[in-house]
Amino acid sequence: MRMPKWKGKFMIVEAKRLGISIAGKSIVSSVDLHIGDGERVGLIGSSGSGKSMISKAMLGLLPTNATAEGSVMLGDTQVIGADETVLASLRGRYVGAVFQNPASSLNPVLIVGKQVELPLKLHYDLDKADRQKRVIAMLEKVGLDEATANKYPSELSGGQQQRVGIATALITSPRLIIADEPTTALDSITQRQIVDLLVTLVDKAGASMLFITHDFSVLARATTRCYVLDDGQVIESGDTADLLDNPQNAQTKKLVGAARELTLQRKQDCDD
Amino acid sequence: MTKSKSSSKFSIVLRLIWRRGEGKFALIVLASWVVVSLVSLVWTPQSLWATDGYHVWAKPSVAHWLGTDGTGADVFSWLMAGARTNLFIAILAVVFAGALGILLMSAMVSRNSALSNVSVVAVDALISIPTVLIALILAVPMGASVAVVIIACGIGYGLNLARIARPQALLAANSDYVGSALSYGASGFSVMLHHILPNAMPTIMVQLSLSAGTAVLAESGLTYLGFGVPSGVPSWGHSLATSVKFINVYPLTVLWPGLIVTIVVVALNVFGDVLRDAIDPVTNPELRRS
Repeated sequence: MRMPKWKGKFMIVEAKRLGISIAGKSIVSSVDLHIGDGERVGLIGSSGSGKSMISKAMLGLLPTNATAEGSVMLGDTQVIGADETVLASLRGRYVGAVFQNPASSLNPVLIVGKQVELPLKLHYDLDKADRQKRVIAMLEKVGLDEATANKYPSELSGGQQQRVGIATALITSPRLIIADEPTTALDSITQRQIVDLLVTLVDKAGASMLFITHDFSVLARATTRCYVLDDGQVIESGDTADLLDNPQNAQTKKLVGAARELTLQRKQDCDD
Repeated sequence: MTKSKSSSKFSIVLRLIWRRGEGKFALIVLASWVVVSLVSLVWTPQSLWATDGYHVWAKPSVAHWLGTDGTGADVFSWLMAGARTNLFIAILAVVFAGALGILLMSAMVSRNSALSNVSVVAVDALISIPTVLIALILAVPMGASVAVVIIACGIGYGLNLARIARPQALLAANSDYVGSALSYGASGFSVMLHHILPNAMPTIMVQLSLSAGTAVLAESGLTYLGFGVPSGVPSWGHSLATSVKFINVYPLTVLWPGLIVTIVVVALNVFGDVLRDAIDPVTNPELRRS
């Protein structure tokens, strides 16, 4: 097996005064964020609040016209300003990512088995038979049968596609999973299944997770602690259950209130 | 196992092409071209260098199936031998154009903005130079030769390929699946190999097929102008160039090479279209099941 450049066993994420601007316009400013080893932390905020930019900064994948300042430590590696080779060895091997739209985040002309296999091929010196065995085992872990490996993404449902996305992110047993709104494009039943699957797999692997969402019900199910982001700044943080029961910040109150009204409205519609 | 899988995919693609009328036409013409080229290496009805002074400009007969030219040489034999030169030129020009085009396309969609900007400007500037002019420039030090045709076509069609395939490659390069690949540590080369190229491949295949057809036409044109295949080397362009002056008197000798060039070029153009449809796994359930 190829020796990784980053030898840390645990993954503690520490962002200090993280600022991101695109073409001179500030998108994220002075964000402090901590994810403990094996912790599931949420990042919630309205659309355009800068959630995805923070996840991109953690992966070192900001757009070319973006600039980042401050510090993001993944384990003992500084991501901001890091060399591309350091980042590439970190990505996939130690940090995995699950994306919002499963249909577009899978290559349409590559069969599922190949797509799940690629991170393994990049980070481990395994022979083909070993890789294929691991791919099948991983697909089974996410609830997909062996036959799925030979299918193209277009032959799968949205939920199945997201399971493939999760399998691709987890196949290298990363220490940190960044899930960037992984349930937004799915129906509510599939949302719950995907959240439960992610939580189970992340907990079983003892990995940490940053779960980005704008949905409070998903946040409550997936995380134990969370940060609320508004206009590129953290406006509140704390235990997820406490924060939902008793939000302190006016904007958080507004967001939680709107989510409650929507849930009540849905309940009333169902009762009628 | 991999070999049998790829050979089964190959047979499915062939079957999908064969299913369509225009696909049948293209396959029959192209297969005949290859077979005739190979046969011409060991056999032609008459020797290429046998001339019959008593039967110049002869009409088609049992001895000379397509007649004879002004030296009394057998037209059919020369066209058979010309097939292999044209096939050789078309294959090498396509390989050269494909390699150059893919290399330039990769540079044009690179995440390195300096490299992509420079390559876009360079391709846009160089594409304005016609293939004939490239051949003319090359012919100065090299003289009229098969290599001039291959290099000129390779450069011209490679630039064209890069420009035509770039939008498709750019679409893939900016896609979520490439973002996902980068997130698991894929290098630029891996992204190009596994994600961008397979998605741009249908466009590349069509363009290369068209390029093969254009290479056949270019060979005829460049040979006629005197920078292409040198005298004495059989080619369809050579057959056209030597007989075109007599078109008003002996139109048949011009008709045969002209007809063959036309049929082969049409077949190559059609082949590109049917191949694009046949290799797309998204629209072909048979290919997916393989």
